[in-house]
Amino acid sequence: MRLETSRFGPIEVDDGAVITLTQPILGFQEFRRFLLLPGPSDSAVKWFQSVDSGDLAFILMDPRVVVPDYKVTLRRGELAELAVSREDELEVYTLVVVPHDQDQVRTNLRAPVLINAKHRLAKQTILEGSDYPIQFFLAQAQRGASESQEVSNARTDA
Amino acid sequence: MLVLTRKEEESIMIGDDVEVKVLDLKDNQVKIGIVAPRSVAVHRREVYLAIQAENTEAASIERVEDISKLLSQ
Repeated sequence: MRLETSRFGPIEVDDGAVITLTQPILGFQEFRRFLLLPGPSDSAVKWFQSVDSGDLAFILMDPRVVVPDYKVTLRRGELAELAVSREDELEVYTLVVVPHDQDQVRTNLRAPVLINAKHRLAKQTILEGSDYPIQFFLAQAQRGASESQEVSNARTDA
Repeated sequence: MLVLTRKEEESIMIGDDVEVKVLDLKDNQVKIGIVAPRSVAVHRREVYLAIQAENTEAASIERVEDISKLLSQ
């Protein structure tokens, strides 16, 4: 199947690669089929391209790049919904927002996108009872990391 | 909007398989229990709306080059 996309031009869709959402990306109810496409080679992001609309695509990132101990705990029933028995059988991604202002680039840690790569199932979930922010600013995280880096360097110097 | 009055421990059925039960009333707060099939997503409305708005912004991105350096540590 050939898909005309606004970002990548025409792409060939392999039916075996199509991921079906068991729950939609909130606000995008009617779009249930997606493809995971590689992002720029030097980045830790991927594209989540809708198969139902060539104009719709999201950017996904591995949240553990910014929060190494990022943890997903699913509600009862959600594991079965995604045809797995444990959380660690799922690929975990978060949606990225990229405004013009670089300081505003952020990712949604509260509502990750979980993918069962083997069975091509996915959903966006809301982590209940978690404190992860809906807007986690990457620039701030990086600044925080480099500041603690500087502190540890300073300590080494002293 | 349909308005029903319920006491503690009383519930409401929505269709055949969604039950909404008042568990506890205290200090200007209501604790509500919901029994629903797996296909029905249940969320706090303000969280649902905030995530929906963030998703809409996420869908409007055309290029990712700019974030590469933010993610390369």
